[in-house]
Amino acid sequence: MESRVLKPILAVYVVAFILFLYGPFFVLTILSFQQGPDGGPQFPITEWSTYWYQQIFGLTPPSRIAPLPVGEALIRSLILAFMTMVTSTVLGVMSAQAFRRKFRGSSFVFYLIVLGMMVPGVLTGLGTSLLANNVFGITRHWYTTAFATHVAYTFPFAFLVMLAILNRFDGSVEEAAWSLGVTPWKTFRKVTFPLIFPGVLSAMLFAFTLSLDEFPRSLFAAGGTEDQTLPLAIYGTFAVEIHPNIFAFGVLTTLFSFALLSVYGILMGMSVRRARKLAMQEEIA
Amino acid sequence: MTTQTAIFRIDGVTKSYGGVKALDAVTLEAGVNEYLSLLGPSGSGKTTLLRVIAGFEVPDSGRVFFQGRDITNLPAHERGIGFVFQNFALFPHLTVRQNVAFGMAHGAVPVSAQDTAQRTQAVIDMVGLKGMEDRGVDQISGGQRQRVALARTLVMQPKLVLLDEPLGALDANLRGRMRNELRAIRERMGVTFLHVTGSETEALAMGDSVVVLDRGRIIQRGAPDDIYSHPASPDVAHFLNRFNLFDGTLAGGSFTGAFGTVGVTNATRAPRDVYAIRYDRLRVVPVSAAPTGPALKATYIANEYLGSSVMNFFETADGKVVEVEHHLSLGAPETYEPRQDYLLTWSPDQAIVFGREGK
Repeated sequence: MESRVLKPILAVYVVAFILFLYGPFFVLTILSFQQGPDGGPQFPITEWSTYWYQQIFGLTPPSRIAPLPVGEALIRSLILAFMTMVTSTVLGVMSAQAFRRKFRGSSFVFYLIVLGMMVPGVLTGLGTSLLANNVFGITRHWYTTAFATHVAYTFPFAFLVMLAILNRFDGSVEEAAWSLGVTPWKTFRKVTFPLIFPGVLSAMLFAFTLSLDEFPRSLFAAGGTEDQTLPLAIYGTFAVEIHPNIFAFGVLTTLFSFALLSVYGILMGMSVRRARKLAMQEEIA
Repeated sequence: MTTQTAIFRIDGVTKSYGGVKALDAVTLEAGVNEYLSLLGPSGSGKTTLLRVIAGFEVPDSGRVFFQGRDITNLPAHERGIGFVFQNFALFPHLTVRQNVAFGMAHGAVPVSAQDTAQRTQAVIDMVGLKGMEDRGVDQISGGQRQRVALARTLVMQPKLVLLDEPLGALDANLRGRMRNELRAIRERMGVTFLHVTGSETEALAMGDSVVVLDRGRIIQRGAPDDIYSHPASPDVAHFLNRFNLFDGTLAGGSFTGAFGTVGVTNATRAPRDVYAIRYDRLRVVPVSAAPTGPALKATYIANEYLGSSVMNFFETADGKVVEVEHHLSLGAPETYEPRQDYLLTWSPDQAIVFGREGK
């Protein structure tokens, strides 16, 4: 009875939600195929073309609209996201591993780590830049100060993901390995790590994507123009005039994200089969 | 048993968790090539004891010796003591063969690939897993997993194997078979097994010697038949789950309980007065009968068919349930009327009496 009323309402709600979520991207995608270089970032589409995509890759003759100055920023952001991902994931795994045993001041350390994702990014960024300029007197760079803020921001995510994974981890397989004469480090590599790998993958994805589109921290903590990350560079182009080339670029980066997610999905699927084996074993216990 | 032949010895080991003593000054020794079962109710500290010996827990005080060496502070992976877990703790991402070879492939002591393969195959054959080598451990049955767990441990040729309720996860049928196999395998390998169990039948059936643990203390140690026929205390008699225990008073060579006063020839010293009579030593007679021995009036409630015997349940006037076992090999069971009164009687020399007056 109830579901007869509730179900259609929920269905409408879900559709509305998806429209809201993907609507902007959908509109953006359509507008990215606007005619160029004279077509503007609005409807109607005067003529369908791939002009703006070609422009991004420098395949169009020079025109009054400058190509997006994002090439180097993109490389910077990818490297930064990669560095952040590796550092935060390693830190996250290590600290979550430490939290498997209660130690003195563990709850204090817990909140200290989690603070990194709670503090407003603008404050972290501003604080870091002030600290670098006025206290330490060092020059800000994307790979130093900005990197530090990115790690402080993404490390808690990696930590929490790993904490959740290790909370459910049955330590008896590790003890079994020890009792077979295998050192704790080798046990971690050969038993623990393969079994927590799905979690590590998720932590990596979190750290990478959060760093890739991080804005407020980079805004202050990265240095000048030659230190701009991708979000900063894109924001910079808004200040002048918006052309459909930004839309085309947005579509490309979204496709890149989907590709990343697919890789994640495939790797996850592979390790979930392992996790299922573990779950079966836990059922016996 | 002398120290020379002892494979391990723990000396006054105490371990507390948050103020609760899981082990209270436990001293225990086991010989080379011995099957020791450790019986205790849950919470008696039996698993903690195993974990201390294995090196997974550090005792608060006391020492642990293995092969004459003090290993109290030695990490688990340097002890060379095998451990079989109740949940088997197999490596879920590895095949049967890889599980068995794990200790040799990754252990601190290098073993050549050829030796590893040879030893792995030999032990897989021994535990009867031939043909299963390349299966994942999720593709085999519970009993087979138990064998993998055992093979993985035995292939390292430990001198001592600790088994933490290894049969607890198996169904009754399989449990019976694995009992026999465990004994046979142990005898073939000549290792010492320390087998922890909460099941009195398992402890009595498997051990060359049985240790009874209660509230972190060892309360009796002996051969199974010795423990069975001479429980050292009312608690041991209780854990054996084969005795009706009656409270009462032991004074001047006779015991006074719900069944009247009975003469006692031989009493065991204990902090409280308890009269114990085995389930299968009781006889049921009509109320009208006048038995020569002690008699306890009780109401018949129900019975339970156990295959080789029938367990009859009676309730006394003060609400205590008394169990009477009838072995079917002694003839067909008598039928009793529910809610009818009967007299339970026994021959006093078959009772085991505990008391402050005992010796």
